[in-house]
Amino acid sequence: MKTLIALTIANLKGLTRDRAALFWTFFFPVMFVFLFGWIFGGSGDAKVAIGFVDQDNHSAASAGLQQAFQNVSLLTVQTGSLSDEQAAMQRGDIAAIVVVPEGLGAAAGSKTPTSIELYIDPSQGQTTQGIQQIADKVTGAANLELAGATAVIGVQDKTLQSTNISNVAYLVPSILAMALMQLGIFAAIPLVQQREKGILKRIGATPLARWKLVGSNVLTRLMISLVDAVVILGIGLAVFHVQIVGNLIEMTALVLLGAATFLSIGFMLASFLKTEEQAQGVVQVVQLPMMFLSGIFFSFDFLPGFLQTVARFLPLTYLGDAFRQVMVNGTQVAPLGVDVAILTGWLVVCLGIAARSFRWE
Amino acid sequence: MTQSHESVIRVSDLKKFYGDVKAVDGVTFEVARGEVFGMLGPNGAGKTTTIEVLEGLRSPDSGIVEVFGLDVCKHPESIKQRIGVQLQSVSLYPRLTVTELLDLFGTFFKNRVPTKQLIDAVDLGERANARSMDLSGGQQQRLSIALALVNDPDLVFLDEPTTGLDPQARRSLWDLVKGLQEKGKSVVLTTHYMEEATELCDRVAIMDHGHILEMGTVPELIGRRFKERAVFFDSTVKFPAERLGKLGGVTRATQEDGQTVLYSKDVAATIGGLLAMADELSAEPHNLGIRQATLEDVFLDLTGRALRD
Ligand SMILES: Nc1ncnc2c1ncn2[C@@H]1O[C@H](COP(=O)(O)OP(=O)(O)OP(=O)(O)O)[C@@H](O)[C@H]1O
Ligand SMILES: [Mg+2]
Repeated sequence: MKTLIALTIANLKGLTRDRAALFWTFFFPVMFVFLFGWIFGGSGDAKVAIGFVDQDNHSAASAGLQQAFQNVSLLTVQTGSLSDEQAAMQRGDIAAIVVVPEGLGAAAGSKTPTSIELYIDPSQGQTTQGIQQIADKVTGAANLELAGATAVIGVQDKTLQSTNISNVAYLVPSILAMALMQLGIFAAIPLVQQREKGILKRIGATPLARWKLVGSNVLTRLMISLVDAVVILGIGLAVFHVQIVGNLIEMTALVLLGAATFLSIGFMLASFLKTEEQAQGVVQVVQLPMMFLSGIFFSFDFLPGFLQTVARFLPLTYLGDAFRQVMVNGTQVAPLGVDVAILTGWLVVCLGIAARSFRWE
Repeated sequence: MTQSHESVIRVSDLKKFYGDVKAVDGVTFEVARGEVFGMLGPNGAGKTTTIEVLEGLRSPDSGIVEVFGLDVCKHPESIKQRIGVQLQSVSLYPRLTVTELLDLFGTFFKNRVPTKQLIDAVDLGERANARSMDLSGGQQQRLSIALALVNDPDLVFLDEPTTGLDPQARRSLWDLVKGLQEKGKSVVLTTHYMEEATELCDRVAIMDHGHILEMGTVPELIGRRFKERAVFFDSTVKFPAERLGKLGGVTRATQEDGQTVLYSKDVAATIGGLLAMADELSAEPHNLGIRQATLEDVFLDLTGRALRD
């Protein structure tokens, strides 16, 4: 036990004294969080500004609609003429314009089908979708009211939020998954280094049991992965106000499972790689495509068919999916149980291969 | 010599092949407790391979290999507790300091020597808190020797321990090895330095191509081959070899390292004849001298190669 602890401490010292390793394990994922946080702006509860143009001379219908939009807590509503609002939209001050055309009140009164106009800015991506959904709900509610029914269904922020997770909330679990993936796969590099330098051989000449050497490596990486998770989630919570819904035990278990799975892939790679240069290259060849194919940064629906098939085999797809489900109630690729089963499968297979083919010199 | 008859190492007909390369091809020897045993041989002779089989790092293809009377294949753990190992070429965790490395390795063994004492033994006090990657080559070598002693081993393997050391550090390593012997420890070392083997080793084995060519004490090895003494000189003018061979007392004339060496049973007659011949050729032999045959001569004679090539 004391040996295991001593080795783990030695590993941690080695890591914290290695600037390059520190960068990749801590600062790189943190940089990602900030980068994506700023690029995609708007966190879960940031407000979106829209313009409201009333061309129906303050009819009861248009006043009701304006009130309904103002009641949506996600939105701030400003009013003005159509040309003013269009200018504002071009400046980027507002994301959409709702226009109540002349005669809407009268048409509604006579139950003639009519519609409001919605100007949107397609370059705003996900925000646009959200506004469309909001407009649908608002008009839907208004229709019910006009039809004489009581407004049983209001516009609930909650439903809107969970169907429209903000980009950052979607990305934080993804970045965490990415960080664990890199942490595990990059573990191949020091192992290959240590073998190349003869460190593993030198330790082989002492009575130290080999499982302790492996165990200390696993322990070190699991500890780092927990720290990574705390840092990434902490920034997500504190800086970008991502709401996290999952419980702590579930999340910790998932972090550990994910870290262990990718670590076993790292060990497996280390079994086949001979030189450090090889390791540096192969590790990138494995991790980069995985990062882009596994739908952690954008949905893999955009990928061509055969790449989608590839994506469905990648462990990162399922780790990202599991994190999104547990952390932000995101839409799922597969049920949580399936995610866990697939990750465990990868873990067992890669560990088996590593155990059979790992060389100490 | 403080030897008992008990053997700490017993190797019989050891073979280890790598594909076509017969790295060790039937080696037999014993090392007694308290003995310092040296292995000499040109590059690729099989010294490291033999040692690494004894250390339990490589498994033998065939033969009997026992350390402390235990089969190395069957009891690697208990053997490893009691041996000290310095490998020919390793670096250590580069970002740990000398002290941290010695402390860490100490935890691998039941027996352990205080780190401070080890650092003093190899004279690394000033560098105790330096990272191993920042040490000079010779300092790394000394650290590697200190690591071989963390468990106060009964048997120490040193594979080219003085390669890369400056003359002072080499001397102090020699003292360290002698100190180990005084404490009744056994040492197996390889070296390419003749004076080191002569100074330290109770017995040496000369290896080449996976075989032990000759084994014994240094005087034995020299005496077995060279009853004569060597007369050596160099000259800008070439002395005809066949005439040198016929000078009085000469049994053999050779060229070694640019010097002419005449092995002679009658040194006075040889030198007299040589000087007469020099007169006749109006040449002058430079750096003329007489010496005993050395281990180097034995080595050259056996392997056809210099110790260091
Ligand atoms: N792992 C290996 N795989 C293949 N061949 C090897 C291996 N290790 C050693 N050899 C070969 O076995 C032979 C003996 O090597 P060894 O290292 O034992 O020599 P050595 O006597 O220690 O030489 P040196 O003085 O250069 O250290 C060499 O021909 C070497 O190339
Ligand atoms: Mg060698």
